[in-house]
Amino acid sequence: MIAIGLEGSANKIGIGVISHPSSNKPPIVLANLRHTFISPPGEGFLPKDTAIHHRAWVVRLIKQAVQQAGAKVSDVDVICYTKGPGMGPPLQSVALAARTISLLWNKPLVGVNHCVGHIEMGRAITHAQNPVVLYVSGGNTQVIAYSQQRYRIFGETMDIAIGNCIDRFARTLMIPNDPFPGYNVEQYAKRGKNLVDLPYTVKGMDVSFSGILAAADLLAGQISDDVSYGKRLKSEEGDLITKEDLCFSLQETIFAMLVEITERAMAHVGTSQVLVVGGVGSNERLQDMMGLMARDRGGSGFATDERFCIDNGIMIAHAGLLEYQTGVTTSLEDSTCTQRFRTDEVFVGWRD
Amino acid sequence: MATVRTITLPHYPSYPIHICMFRDVTNAAFLRSQLLEANPDFDYAFLDPSMILSPSHLLGGTFLALHASLLSRAKTRTPHSELVFRLHPNNNIGEAYRKFGISDSSTAIIAVKLGLGPEVTNERVSQHLGEHVQGESVNVGEEAERVGDWCDVGKVRKVYKLENPKKKGGKKGAQINGVGKEVDERREMESVILGMITLKGS
Amino acid sequence: MSTTNMASTASDAQPPTTPPPTQPLHALPQPFTTSNLEVLTQGAEALVYKTTFLTPSTPCVLKYRPPKLYRHPILDKRLTKARLLAEARVLVKCRREGLSVPAVLGGDWESGWLVLEWIGGRTVRAVLDEWVHKFGLRARDGKTSEEEVKRELDEGLMEVVAEEKESQEAREGLMRLMQMVGRAVGKLHEIGVCHGDLTTSNLMLRTPERKEVVGRGPPRMTVSAQREAAMSGQDPPEVIPVQQEETKETNSLEGDVVMIDFGLATQTIHEEDRAVDLYVLERAFTATHPAAEHLFQEVLRCYGESFKGAKTVLKRLADVRLRGRKRTMIG
Repeated sequence: MIAIGLEGSANKIGIGVISHPSSNKPPIVLANLRHTFISPPGEGFLPKDTAIHHRAWVVRLIKQAVQQAGAKVSDVDVICYTKGPGMGPPLQSVALAARTISLLWNKPLVGVNHCVGHIEMGRAITHAQNPVVLYVSGGNTQVIAYSQQRYRIFGETMDIAIGNCIDRFARTLMIPNDPFPGYNVEQYAKRGKNLVDLPYTVKGMDVSFSGILAAADLLAGQISDDVSYGKRLKSEEGDLITKEDLCFSLQETIFAMLVEITERAMAHVGTSQVLVVGGVGSNERLQDMMGLMARDRGGSGFATDERFCIDNGIMIAHAGLLEYQTGVTTSLEDSTCTQRFRTDEVFVGWRD
Repeated sequence: MATVRTITLPHYPSYPIHICMFRDVTNAAFLRSQLLEANPDFDYAFLDPSMILSPSHLLGGTFLALHASLLSRAKTRTPHSELVFRLHPNNNIGEAYRKFGISDSSTAIIAVKLGLGPEVTNERVSQHLGEHVQGESVNVGEEAERVGDWCDVGKVRKVYKLENPKKKGGKKGAQINGVGKEVDERREMESVILGMITLKGS
Repeated sequence: MSTTNMASTASDAQPPTTPPPTQPLHALPQPFTTSNLEVLTQGAEALVYKTTFLTPSTPCVLKYRPPKLYRHPILDKRLTKARLLAEARVLVKCRREGLSVPAVLGGDWESGWLVLEWIGGRTVRAVLDEWVHKFGLRARDGKTSEEEVKRELDEGLMEVVAEEKESQEAREGLMRLMQMVGRAVGKLHEIGVCHGDLTTSNLMLRTPERKEVVGRGPPRMTVSAQREAAMSGQDPPEVIPVQQEETKETNSLEGDVVMIDFGLATQTIHEEDRAVDLYVLERAFTATHPAAEHLFQEVLRCYGESFKGAKTVLKRLADVRLRGRKRTMIG
């Protein structure tokens, strides 16, 4: 069976084509295309502009994907699109495109939960059987474990998402948004060496980032060249603190929080496997930390590369096709989208 | 010869603790002067027994002092002065000596010697203390259980700023579980004190 | 921390000695060695051992927070120290106020360990499990359909339990236990502490002990194998052996309630935190058995009477219940 997936919940539009061969063979990626709306340094992406971007690209990408997949439209069994969660206008643009091709091609629709898309793609790529999932992106921060037909949320952010925290800090430091701010912060962090104290806010299995961002923003104000030397932020050894040090400190602090709550969830459910998904999951330092923790628990950490952990159409196609194979479709009337759509609302009929 | 009880703390078996108790002491001033002169022959912790609530109280302070000394984290000159210091709830060393150490007029003494080297044996401590402490050596018991016998509970409570449960009209303490159970006052105090001296300075 | 030279030269090429992945290595901090420790739990946060402290006859719990390799060493030290200190401070505060919690016997924040008083007895979870087990058998005897059994459990369990004199005693014992739990939590909140992880596994029913004067005689704490079973998450044994000397006067529900594991405790007087404590406890009760909800009502009743302001916490609890712990998030 073949599915086409349309993703556009944030600033990336992704179109993917996947094939699930019969029996238990692994899925085959036929096409996985993406285009990212990049805002200038110091600015985030606004919903309206992002929606315009997605509308401008969607037709081109669908055509290209179908062509690259080497499939005929008649080969496609189902059209999968991101129902939510995400930003309203871009979600609507892509849902509209999905409805349109559904009518044009006369194919059924399946609305997919974006988070479930990430989880299922991560499982398919890494072959992690039943991992605790850390889902970290610009809009989400959740620790998830599967139990009885649901992906249950064990812990999550109490305020902003981790990716949002990193992106906003990048804006404060005027770090470029191309290819994406988290990547650039990671490169800065690799050159940082001084750890600056930041708040560390873990409560049970939940985390909070807004206070840390506020503290980091304040510190950023103390490293500018405009500040007199005497008032500049310095390390214990007297070195001037740099942008690199701040990026390093931010990463070390917030990633440690994530690993901590993930470890707590693993101890709680008694598993030693962990899977990191979502855009922030492409960060090598986070992957390393997660691996160290998992190894310490006698298990292993799994992650995917940026093709699959950054928002993409293939994960929507994959999760949608899994659901379609259990007999579920979304009728045209119900093919809405929603900004709020919790991971644990989805009935996971395709797992034991 | 004085009656010295040698105790080993769990987890620190290589550092035996030699404990000895005296009453009717007549030369406390001399002993104190030796401490002040830092005479290496008189490297002991001489404690005021009225300030020692129980064996665990003494051993708790001893453990912390020994541990700090072995990890080079002691705040005072010797492991023995560290013991006097550790027993006190705050960080003032002079105050610790005034409250837990002996005075020139002390007539009762608990002497503690940490076995930090092979030369420190029960016999040697017994001989040395027997020679130099003028007073009657008292048997502290198998597990030093009599160490708290001369305690002035009121004084201890004051130094550690512990409230007297009797003054609270039975509202607190054992009442919380709804059963008017008689609380062992000393044990309650000991539990709090061990926590306080562990937490001190941090 | 050892410093490793990243760029090793060919001449000193030695295969890196990494610990085998299945055998996490945790060097114990001085003075502890594996020889005199018995592992109780290996949580995400701390390794918990049973050992002795100060005297060979004083059982205790050693909590060790090993360094987390994934964390920056400076951050790791800072967190370990802050958390151990917070836990110890809360425990000492509780003891000062006369609450039943384990005493702090010793500790070293720099090295990451804390020694706590041993609490003998069973967890409230084990008590409830045993009760459900007994009752479950009783209900099934005369009933045919699963549904009837369920309804019985939900509605009329107290009456059924009270059928016999023995059951009457059990019921009173359970109610007394619930009252103790309610008051203990109330007292904790009153003095400005929230537990942070208030499950039935973190409430102990301490076995009654014989009176002794400090500084005299044999071991002070009773040691119970039940405790270990409970802490390691095994099923509680069906028959609860009672201390032999006390068989005459002690039924298994006697004793007092002791709260343990203050690793996530905070000093707070916020209604929200208090309500969440109760909510977590409520969920632990209902997770044991739907019928345990009846018992929890008694906990709440006593909590409500335990301090000024408790009633408003109960109102807040209703909000927390409705909301659940989880909020709907913007994606």
